[in-house]
Amino acid sequence: MGFKERIHDFKILSRNEKEELVDKLRAQFGIKKLGGLIMGRGTERLFLYQGDLSPKEIMELEHARVNIERCGVYFAKLERDEIRLSIEGVHVLKDQIKKNIFELDEEQARRWMEGSELNIQSGMRGFVVMKHKDYFLGCGKASAEKIGNFIPKNRRLKIKG
Amino acid sequence: MTNSVRRERKVPELKELYLERIGELLSGKDLEDYLKILKVVPVKSFRCNTLKISPDDLKKKLEDKGWEIEQPWEKYPEVMIVKTILGPGELGRSLEHLLGYYYIQELASILPIIALKPRPGESFLDLCAAPGSKTTQAACFMNGEGNIFANELSMGRIRILASNLERCGVNNAILTKREGGALCDRLAKNEVYFDKILVDAPCSGEGTLRSSFKTYSMWNINTVKALAALQKNLFKKAFGCLKVGGEMVYSTCTHAPEENEAIVSWALSEFGDAIEIEKVDLPIKAREGVKEWQGEKFDSRVKDVARVYPHDNNTEGFFVSKFRRCK
Repeated sequence: MGFKERIHDFKILSRNEKEELVDKLRAQFGIKKLGGLIMGRGTERLFLYQGDLSPKEIMELEHARVNIERCGVYFAKLERDEIRLSIEGVHVLKDQIKKNIFELDEEQARRWMEGSELNIQSGMRGFVVMKHKDYFLGCGKASAEKIGNFIPKNRRLKIKG
Repeated sequence: MTNSVRRERKVPELKELYLERIGELLSGKDLEDYLKILKVVPVKSFRCNTLKISPDDLKKKLEDKGWEIEQPWEKYPEVMIVKTILGPGELGRSLEHLLGYYYIQELASILPIIALKPRPGESFLDLCAAPGSKTTQAACFMNGEGNIFANELSMGRIRILASNLERCGVNNAILTKREGGALCDRLAKNEVYFDKILVDAPCSGEGTLRSSFKTYSMWNINTVKALAALQKNLFKKAFGCLKVGGEMVYSTCTHAPEENEAIVSWALSEFGDAIEIEKVDLPIKAREGVKEWQGEKFDSRVKDVARVYPHDNNTEGFFVSKFRRCK
């Protein structure tokens, strides 16, 4: 987690920018709507804030030097022209995710949550939502032979010694 | 309250002065029971994160793993105890924990938010928020609706707070890093007021002896005395950020009256008819506040606070007081 930056390093996405983002989410996962404010940190990391403060109120607070470190949760990352949802991003949107879902069996789910990439020919390409039963387990990147893993270290299952 | 098998272990020796002081608060069998419970391994409790899963569904998932789950408080089914003896760290290593379906939280630490009861759509300030147990609990009470300010001064603790808010999917929180009093000054100056405020103040931690052996060695009377100034300042500044009609809980995880009733008594005098103390309604046995301590008489209204001793409910120790801003 990068905490060197504060809210002034964030950019609250405009309505048009958010619409573009939703278009991408629709194309990738079938997601149709996204409530709340989206804030970009740097050029890639996106945060979702669903509290009831407006962008104006948030910026006023920042000008009042309350030292805002973060608004909402890390929700997604822009990678080139694709969106990689975080575990929380997947959770928030799980009811709307209709495509690019890869179902894991129990053994695969365990290895996935341990942080391993899966050597599977999924027949899919790009970012896919990983699911086991009713557990949504974040996003992976599918290529011809494998699915790359992005589970952050602090969310991984510990490998039994 | 819990029928878990009571397992005893060897504990460090209490400092003489601490023993003297606790002996002034408790006596006879009461004191014996207190000293006895310190040796008993604490129960493993946690709170279902209702932002992500219902208590029934979580209970079923955990029972499917072979864990025996108890819900000790009928009115709060989200509060659970695992009665099965788990390996070290096992409760924190489950898939359900990693996905944020529950938050490991000591039973007594669940009480301040139960007393405060933040509601959906309200604005809530958690002034000393790390590691985030009570912030995430408040987010559940609020069903993710409204706005939360979670403040913490220490950068190291902010990281833990952010990580826990993230794991629990708290999307309506703004994290700030400021000394609590200074934050409140800035908020009030900008006319940002709250429906509910929690001041879970830094304290000497006497109530945490069962889960933190380092408290035995760290406890120091100078710390007890020194913290009072900080606690008063946090109380005063936070109260200034409360809406008229808003409610505030002041809590600590210590038994020391200097950090508890003395602060409450001071606040009742400081804010006069602008403040009203409210009786705290908790799902476990709690005792009234002490009316006098080492020669100092407190405002008689301190009886309305809740003192939670470890041996009364097989929990940690806690202190909870609640106030309303009248004008």
